[in-house]
Amino acid sequence: MAATDKTPILKVEGLQTSFFTHDGEVKAVDGVDFEVGANETLGIVGESGSGKSITSLSIMQLVESPGKIKGGSINLTGEDLLKKSKSQFAKYRGNRVSMIFQEPMTSLNPVFTVGHQVSEALRIHKKLGKKDARQEAIRMLKLVGIPAPEDRAKRYPHELSGGMRQRVMIAIALSCDPELLIADEPTTALDVTIQAQILELIKNLQESSGMAVLIITHDLGVIAETADKVAVMYAGEVVEQADVKTLFKRPLHPYTKGLMNAIPRHDVDMDELEVIKGTVPSSAEMPSGCRFMKRCPYASEICETHPSLATPTHNYGVEDDSGAVRCWIYTEEWDTATKKQEVQ
Amino acid sequence: MYIFIIRRFLQLIPVIIGVTLVAFLIIQLIPGDAAQVMAGEAASEEQLEQMRENLGLNEPLYVQYGTFLADLVRLDLGQSVRTDQPVMELVAPRFWITLELAFWGLVVAVVVGLLGGILAATKQNSYRDLGTMMFAVIGLSMPNFWLGLMLMYLFSIELGWLPTSGWGDWQQIFLPAITMGTAGAAIIARMTRSAMLEVLGEDYVRTARAKGVKERLVIYKHALRNALIPVVTVIGLQFGYFLSGAVLTESVFSINGLGRLVVDAISQRDFPVVQGTVIVLALTFVLTNFIVDILYRVLNKRIEIN
Repeated sequence: MAATDKTPILKVEGLQTSFFTHDGEVKAVDGVDFEVGANETLGIVGESGSGKSITSLSIMQLVESPGKIKGGSINLTGEDLLKKSKSQFAKYRGNRVSMIFQEPMTSLNPVFTVGHQVSEALRIHKKLGKKDARQEAIRMLKLVGIPAPEDRAKRYPHELSGGMRQRVMIAIALSCDPELLIADEPTTALDVTIQAQILELIKNLQESSGMAVLIITHDLGVIAETADKVAVMYAGEVVEQADVKTLFKRPLHPYTKGLMNAIPRHDVDMDELEVIKGTVPSSAEMPSGCRFMKRCPYASEICETHPSLATPTHNYGVEDDSGAVRCWIYTEEWDTATKKQEVQ
Repeated sequence: MYIFIIRRFLQLIPVIIGVTLVAFLIIQLIPGDAAQVMAGEAASEEQLEQMRENLGLNEPLYVQYGTFLADLVRLDLGQSVRTDQPVMELVAPRFWITLELAFWGLVVAVVVGLLGGILAATKQNSYRDLGTMMFAVIGLSMPNFWLGLMLMYLFSIELGWLPTSGWGDWQQIFLPAITMGTAGAAIIARMTRSAMLEVLGEDYVRTARAKGVKERLVIYKHALRNALIPVVTVIGLQFGYFLSGAVLTESVFSINGLGRLVVDAISQRDFPVVQGTVIVLALTFVLTNFIVDILYRVLNKRIEIN
């Protein structure tokens, strides 16, 4: 399914989103690049505070005050969304770009029926009349696997289970046949069995519509199940990017390795689960060099300088030119620097 | 829904019985001899006896209450001991005036209050927010008779735009309605602001924006519909306060409403009139709460009555 040669649906370049608080600027997203093609799924993975959710909200331009998109570009099939006026972009939101959220329990408005909420986007973007929108909403509810959609359309959100509500959210998001679907932790709040169903549903719908999917998660299991490509985010930056098979086969960045080691495994006998020590540094104590340095077991002097995201050229073992990593270890400089250290 | 309304209505019955009981006991609880108090010190023994006879005070208590209820069902509230007019005839026209006054006061309170609250909440911590809330504090702390006098001074005496007093013409509505509605507007504005702030932070508001709903509709449809749920209760209570608190506004603007009737009746110790007014006011209050309950239910789909 990997389709790197296609023209990207979404291309994000140098995205910077900051929160301007009383204590100064907090750079939540600091220069993020990635692209997603048609029929392709990009997974963004990272722990809390890595900036992955803010990245997705930035694309939807739903970052709330005091947050602000400071720079970069977000291109949807070649058009820069950040150059659109508010009212111009409103035509894209929920129409060509849609989003589903983490909390299905609270993401639907409690005072409107499910059918009303699904038909709303259709009435706004497709300019459908009340009756047509309702018919279309029922069709969408059926499409996302809700049984007895005519009846459910008349129900209020509190009458539905969490899994059903997330299906409704998906129906809303897909009602206008978007080119890009952003799913921010779509299964985190759901039971494991429901999780698999929802991921399967998104995948099936993608296959039939050919949309690009951006899936945001902290769960590498979800990535393995759904994504074609992965971007690993840490402290507002992408630290590693690769297609999904490569990433699981040979994680390069010490952070990615740490994430993988933190997955409990049943086939290996372990007394203790490995953890990445420490937490994401706050903006006040953000190192000027590599941001992972303080938690990295391999940190060296050269890491005081900020590394850039680049194709690995050294020390990566398996030959594979796809992907990029933001770490000195995989550069020529690492070899010279460590040799110099050895000499000293 | 219909079952809910019927059930809620049945629940009113004990409240209404309670109201009639309290109103009935007003005369019984007068310290000393009720007839003496009403007739005054100078009354002769025959006059007192006559009054007791008229009011049925010689009967046992339960018979009195029974008669009282039976009369009430026939909308007979007894007679004024001062003018011998039926209380119903005294109360009814006055009640309409007060009801009208309270209605217009409520219109002012709701319109100004909701708009103020929304304006403040949609730009939290801005000068707009600060200004609106400052007005709310001033509106809340100002005694309304004083506000009435100031309005009268400005608009009637200095500018001569509106009449100083009376009731009946449409021009006579403005000043009393503003006088009455200001404090309510302040309370509703504060309530709306906090409810809106809470709702605007909800996930479903973000969902609405993500769908491409225009910001104006996000606020007035998705957010306000939810924020109204607590506000409606406050609005209902305000209406009750307006009815019972109308006396101040009525006095300032010389409006012959229920408030002035009851104050006069109290000072003349005309207890049947007091009794009648209490019943009418209390029943209106109960009815308002009933309507609010239904509205609350209509607005909030999650309420289930058990």
